[in-house]
Amino acid sequence: MDVAPRAKRTSAPAPSMSGSAPFIVSRGLTKRYGSVTALDALNLELAPGVIGLVGANGAGKSTFIKLLLGLLEPTSGSAQVMGLDVARDGPTLRQFVGYMPEHDCLPPDATGTEFVAHMAQISGLPRAAARERTAEILRHVGLFEARYRQINGYSTGMKQRVKLAQALVHDPRLVLLDEPTNGLDPQGRDEMLTMIRRIGTEFGVAVILSSHLLSEIERVCDHLVEIENGRVARSAPMAELTATTSDLVVEVEGDSAALADYLRKRGATAEPRGRYLLVQHTNDDVFDWIRDGVVEHGMGLIRLEQSHRRLEELFDVEPGAAGEGVPRG
Amino acid sequence: MWSLAPQAKVSRVANHASGSIYELGYQRYVGARLGRRHAVWALYTQSLRSVFGIGRSGWAKAAAFGLLVIALLPAVVQLSIAAIVPANVDVVRPEDYYAQIEPLLAIFCAVIAPELMGRDQRTKTLSLYFSRALRREDYAIAKYAAMVTAMLAMTLLPQLLMFAGNMSAAPDVFRYLADNWQDLPAIVGSALLLSSLVAGAGLAIACQTSSRTYSTVAIAAAFLLTTGIATAIFEAAGPSAGKYALLLSPFHVARGFTIWIFGSIPTSDNRQLMEANIRGSIYTLDAIAFAVICLLVVIRRYWRISV
Repeated sequence: MDVAPRAKRTSAPAPSMSGSAPFIVSRGLTKRYGSVTALDALNLELAPGVIGLVGANGAGKSTFIKLLLGLLEPTSGSAQVMGLDVARDGPTLRQFVGYMPEHDCLPPDATGTEFVAHMAQISGLPRAAARERTAEILRHVGLFEARYRQINGYSTGMKQRVKLAQALVHDPRLVLLDEPTNGLDPQGRDEMLTMIRRIGTEFGVAVILSSHLLSEIERVCDHLVEIENGRVARSAPMAELTATTSDLVVEVEGDSAALADYLRKRGATAEPRGRYLLVQHTNDDVFDWIRDGVVEHGMGLIRLEQSHRRLEELFDVEPGAAGEGVPRG
Repeated sequence: MWSLAPQAKVSRVANHASGSIYELGYQRYVGARLGRRHAVWALYTQSLRSVFGIGRSGWAKAAAFGLLVIALLPAVVQLSIAAIVPANVDVVRPEDYYAQIEPLLAIFCAVIAPELMGRDQRTKTLSLYFSRALRREDYAIAKYAAMVTAMLAMTLLPQLLMFAGNMSAAPDVFRYLADNWQDLPAIVGSALLLSSLVAGAGLAIACQTSSRTYSTVAIAAAFLLTTGIATAIFEAAGPSAGKYALLLSPFHVARGFTIWIFGSIPTSDNRQLMEANIRGSIYTLDAIAFAVICLLVVIRRYWRISV
């Protein structure tokens, strides 16, 4: 007699298992603490992708993330993720959501494996699957070798990786990362950002990444949401924000000031920008002038390309914080 | 387009940047997601394991197991005597057992309740629990259940050991069972009630703070004070006016209930209970109300705690 395989129980919700509804939608989402309004009637519709959440400290980024997770109750308004209400359908929805908080959240006396596997079970995974997924995800975040060591022996970078692993172990559809590069050295930051980009592309997991560093958002995100004083100041695809401009970037080997002078004499506008020149692309003759100038001065032409707008140029960047601009707020 | 249904899509893009030759690409999870009940069960078992230090070093095991061994001592003494002396001697009657280990139960509670409640608050792991497949009250209930189960090891285990030992030492096992089977429901009932009371009191105090030291001291003090205050009021007001003061003290309530459920009456060993002469049903209701209130206090604490 054939024995049918035991049906696997799935607590995935019956309503809108997949949908044409927006991936994330918030309507009039408001959170007040006494007289302080942390989030003020936030209306957003977001498609899956790598979404960057920018804003100054205290602008409401963490509040928004915590509301989406049901860690906070909205004062008014509502939010749905994948068609599920964040307040009403919390446990069901959160089986498909991962969260990496900004603060420390790891028990020092557990091993990496133990902790991540436990968290997988709390997300609803059966014991055996939790162990399997734990091994796999710790390999992805680069902690495979250290997985049987106690967390209190981990470096800051390793702890951040455990935090990321526990957010991903149950294969969520959405992962919310609150300032994931905090406290990391430049190399650790670079690796974390590379990993986050992979999560969004190769893993196919939607990401909401909050950061106060524009350079990070620009590097990994497809979409940007700027929150300022609890309101959405901007929500747009990254491609739109960093669209090409009419400027040309010219980088030469040699005296770029001499080239700038040459171009100005021919009627072009050329501004020095650090090692390179920004030349306005007014007409196609500009290309010939640049070529002639380079030849005349015996320079090497290293780079000639259309300039993309940097995200920082859209914001009022605090002086002296090049590459790590903090939007005003 | 997005979907919550299991997806069979398997990405096998090798990532050379990571430099790992074992890189297989990300695998989607297509298995079962068991939801809230499984999450609560996982939290319950993990909490229970942590109480007894299972999967931890020797020192982690020492406290709980040490106290458990001491709690079993009266049973071991009883069994040794029962084995040597052929007559049916009751050195320790089951209804008197808990009275002998009350201080141990209080210490056990004061040691483990702060761990169960304070640890996740201290390490801020609560935000990870509350952002998963359970609700805040589920967390409180799982911890409460784990605490009651741990207390049962201290109460039910010695009683069962004693029952089994007396039975095997009896000349006629079946005769012993026929004569004493009513003790079994009484043993389970009294152990459950006592465990819920002590666990409830301990957790209701321990959940208020992340500090292990404060809650340990507070729990020990609470057991001492409730016993002391109940006794003092009773002695000052006299048996008729002051008898309900005994209902404030978990250990008095548990003793009264235990003696009643074993179908016995308080003797001079329990002079206050004897003089108070409160009905068994009152002890039962008082204990249930106390345990439920403690659970609600714990749930309320986790509802309000900000993570």
